[in-house]
Amino acid sequence: MAIEMEMEFEKESPKIYRFPQSKYIDALRWIPSPSSAFDRFISLALHDPDTDSSSIEIHSLTNQNPSLHLESSWTSSSRISALKVSQTPSKTLIAASSFDGSLNLLLTNPLNVVIESENSISDKDFHVGPISGIDLNGGGSECVTVGEDGRVNLVNVGESSLGYKTVFDSHGLVSYAAVKWASPYEFATGGLGFSLQWWDQRKPGGAVSQLKGDWARRSKSGIVHSIDIHPSRKHVCVAGGSSGTIFAWDLRWQQQPILLSWVDAQVGGVNSPSESEVWEVQYDAYMQSQNVSNTSSTRVLPVMMCSEDGILASIEQGGKQVEVLGETSSINSFDIDLQNPSDVVCSLEWESVVFVSRQ
Amino acid sequence: MPGRLSSSGDSVVPFSSEVRDPVVYHIQHGVKPPISRLSIAWSRGNCLRVSFFRPELDEEEVGGKVVEVKLSSGDEEFDDSQKRKIAYGSVSPFAVFQNQKNSILAMSKMAYHIDWSHQVMEYSRDVKSLLGYPSTTPSSVIDDPRTVLKTGEKPTCLKAAWELLEIFYADKQSHAWLPECLVDWLAVMILLTSDYDSLLSASEVTVHSKLVDLQNQLVNFQAVEDDRNYWEGVSSALSVGWFDTAVKLLRLHGSYQVDQLGNRETENGLVEAVAVLISKMPRMRPELSKRGLGECFKTKPDFMKAWEKWRGHISKLECSAFWIQCDHQQTRDGLRNLLQIMLGNTNSLEAATCNWMELYVSNFLYIRPFTMGLEGMYTLAQKCMQLRPMSNTHRLMGLIFGILGENIEVVLAECSREFGLWMVAHAIELLTAGSNQAEMLLHEERHNLGGISIEELHRLVYAQVLASHALTWQIAPVYLMSCMKQGIALLEILLYKQPVQHNRMLLKSLEICRMYQLDSISTNLMKIAGIYHWKHGRKGFGVFWLQQAGDELRLSRIAQQLFDYVGKSISDDSFKQWEGMIELLSSEAMSAGGLEFLHKYRDLKKSLQKVRDGIATDTAKQAVESLILLMKSPSTPQRFWLSLMHDSLKLLNWRERPLLNVSQTNLLLNKLQELSMARLRPDFCETDLPPQTLGTIRLALATNLGRAILEE
Repeated sequence: MAIEMEMEFEKESPKIYRFPQSKYIDALRWIPSPSSAFDRFISLALHDPDTDSSSIEIHSLTNQNPSLHLESSWTSSSRISALKVSQTPSKTLIAASSFDGSLNLLLTNPLNVVIESENSISDKDFHVGPISGIDLNGGGSECVTVGEDGRVNLVNVGESSLGYKTVFDSHGLVSYAAVKWASPYEFATGGLGFSLQWWDQRKPGGAVSQLKGDWARRSKSGIVHSIDIHPSRKHVCVAGGSSGTIFAWDLRWQQQPILLSWVDAQVGGVNSPSESEVWEVQYDAYMQSQNVSNTSSTRVLPVMMCSEDGILASIEQGGKQVEVLGETSSINSFDIDLQNPSDVVCSLEWESVVFVSRQ
Repeated sequence: MPGRLSSSGDSVVPFSSEVRDPVVYHIQHGVKPPISRLSIAWSRGNCLRVSFFRPELDEEEVGGKVVEVKLSSGDEEFDDSQKRKIAYGSVSPFAVFQNQKNSILAMSKMAYHIDWSHQVMEYSRDVKSLLGYPSTTPSSVIDDPRTVLKTGEKPTCLKAAWELLEIFYADKQSHAWLPECLVDWLAVMILLTSDYDSLLSASEVTVHSKLVDLQNQLVNFQAVEDDRNYWEGVSSALSVGWFDTAVKLLRLHGSYQVDQLGNRETENGLVEAVAVLISKMPRMRPELSKRGLGECFKTKPDFMKAWEKWRGHISKLECSAFWIQCDHQQTRDGLRNLLQIMLGNTNSLEAATCNWMELYVSNFLYIRPFTMGLEGMYTLAQKCMQLRPMSNTHRLMGLIFGILGENIEVVLAECSREFGLWMVAHAIELLTAGSNQAEMLLHEERHNLGGISIEELHRLVYAQVLASHALTWQIAPVYLMSCMKQGIALLEILLYKQPVQHNRMLLKSLEICRMYQLDSISTNLMKIAGIYHWKHGRKGFGVFWLQQAGDELRLSRIAQQLFDYVGKSISDDSFKQWEGMIELLSSEAMSAGGLEFLHKYRDLKKSLQKVRDGIATDTAKQAVESLILLMKSPSTPQRFWLSLMHDSLKLLNWRERPLLNVSQTNLLLNKLQELSMARLRPDFCETDLPPQTLGTIRLALATNLGRAILEE
């Protein structure tokens, strides 16, 4: 399989630009830009342990000779645990959850990305302890939050205020680590024991279906850290987690997940670019565009992942892997520019942002 | 903090018994006296947290203040984040080099002579590349002929120090052309000392400052050759080996101008002859540096031949008759002085240079080009210092003298004092590669260091510094693992010290355990995390980590608590909450420590619910199977027996036919009997069920037994 991989992807190596920061980067996201002619923008969630301060910074990334320039920043009262960005023609919304259980929403001007207003929820009934995952829906009108406390909340993003309702509360019997919208009504969550849950707002009272955790019996169990759902294939949910595991869950065949990448502890088999925590997964539209013939509806679309052992790679069902970046430090998060899917930004443990252009 | 021990023999790190003069620093705290209490504690990194408390008398005044005092080594060349960058960057070269060393050592058990100078140089170059940073002013694209000085990378003392160690210890090849290496190095050094923000006072004149002044004046000059500063500049540049600058300056000579060329032909010829001689100077080195001119020779005989020939040309020019025909006095004197410098005239060299280092370089260039190794270098340095003393001592001076004096202890002490722990931990690799004597000294296991070597001591100390900061603790294991004696123990402590409440942090710690195969630490960390989450109400997380750790004991202990909770809360509609937890427990590969009871309990509850909804006998039969499974299972707690049977009353009284066969009924009857016996014991806990429950169940079972016997 490895040979096949080399044969097919022998092409120009990606261009890599590194931008050292002087703070720890907790998360980073592209901010969609109104036009490709302008510089692009990136939002960073930063933490400085020396002063124990956290902030969200917006940087512009110049198109020519890529470099980062600070445009605006906002100080957070607590360390940021998750970051999401959503854009509509009239506004850009940055949602950031924190380790102390609050959610902050920053509204920026889509043209010059200056932060215009902020709103937050830090209610005691909202979340207790860290919020581990958030996701904004397409229109930026609703934000779903999940936490280690086992709560699933839906936040209604209004013009001037935020309202929320608790969809579910497991009282700590279950903890959630990741969440992703599938449709205006449905979303998926993931958590301990490689479990995934599917929720439908129209059917309240709990998850409508769940992927049983015992499928991972063959190897060590773990935690799902990240989920992605492709807008054109809402029935398939791809998840990444501990021990280099990446799998897809097809709601039409619920009982068994499709393994894309795994480490088999018992047999000693490795079919994964990484053997440690997969921190984030996202569908890789660039890889998808590279091999159009292979996108039959039964196959899982190519997925990009980043890991604790410093790998940024794209993988496909069937074991094909393309390593984009191999670092000596952990790659904690990444984001693919949906407008230019060949471009990726990622954050390194060692206080650096890396911009990779695969064109 | 540990106090001073009574005898230095007991201490791990020996301390000197002489008490040095204490240095007093004042802390600005702004708290009004009286101060009733003072507390000092370590904060993050090398910060001290000093808390001042006032007595609780005054209501208006603030009750106290907390001040953080940063204990800096005074090295302001790099700020904290830049230092971290160096620390991050040096991890990989260090780890790679350690691996190479280990594999070479393993091989050397078979072969006798193994040379790893190649690997040492690679390591040194990788580390060196981290230490400089590009100049902030971008270099101009257009080459201005009047720009005689070019600045590339901004030099740093740390890099200069590293280069020095590389020249003398790591680079074995450089020993053949040590003088030239020193010339290159001192060129950087001279820039460093001239730097306005360096430790030297700005008022001190150096060759560099002279040339900077000259460059600024050049725009105003009509005829440069009439100015004394011009000739001084050329001779200074030549004396320290900045040949490109010297030649460039010479070519600015007025006689080169087109309108002058006719009547100043001889003069121009002389200037050009000197310029050519400068650019043809033979040099004992493999290749030229960026600003270098001259002709390179790799072997000493070739070089000596060329050197004599070159000197011959200079002497010939010196005695030439053309000087008489040159009527420009300044040009004549200036050029002849340049020839004297090239011939190694001590007076000319002394006049052209401003401090001892510059004089030292000029000595190597023109008087002692054949110096091999360290011979006489130390005495020459001392001599130069006497002739041209510097008003301030630069922080690199101690290091230079340590190296020239071939004293490893001084070198190490200077590295530590001036450049800190990072430098020592990494430079030791170069020192041990350099000489057997150094290797023995640094690798020898010392009783007074608790059986570890100096090398290990410095690595441990550096690792402790890394461990003290939230952003660098993850690289400390690389250094700890290279310490044979104490490394593992300290790594264990480091890992146990990391907070477990953040899952990301915990997973990063576990990853370190995985990399170094520290399975027992990994298991313990998971146990600690499990208990932490359990205590903080995140039961799912608690169970998950305890399961991962395979901690049967704790799992069965928390199982009891969980059952209490179940007994109260598992009503039929709250089952959704339990669903996830039960799924977590169901993976059979994981130990559940009695918690698998919950799984079967859930199955029973589910089937009972179905039974309640419909009357299909098949589903009822399934429910009975679940019930029997539960009652047979040793993990089902006794206190659940009664409520289990109570919940299943409908099954026992099934209208159509008896669902339980004889043996199944007997099993339940036995359990019931056991319960009645247990009731007599003092530790029996009563359920909330109505008192007649036992009787009702017994009756139902008896009826069922009767029907079952009849059916069979």
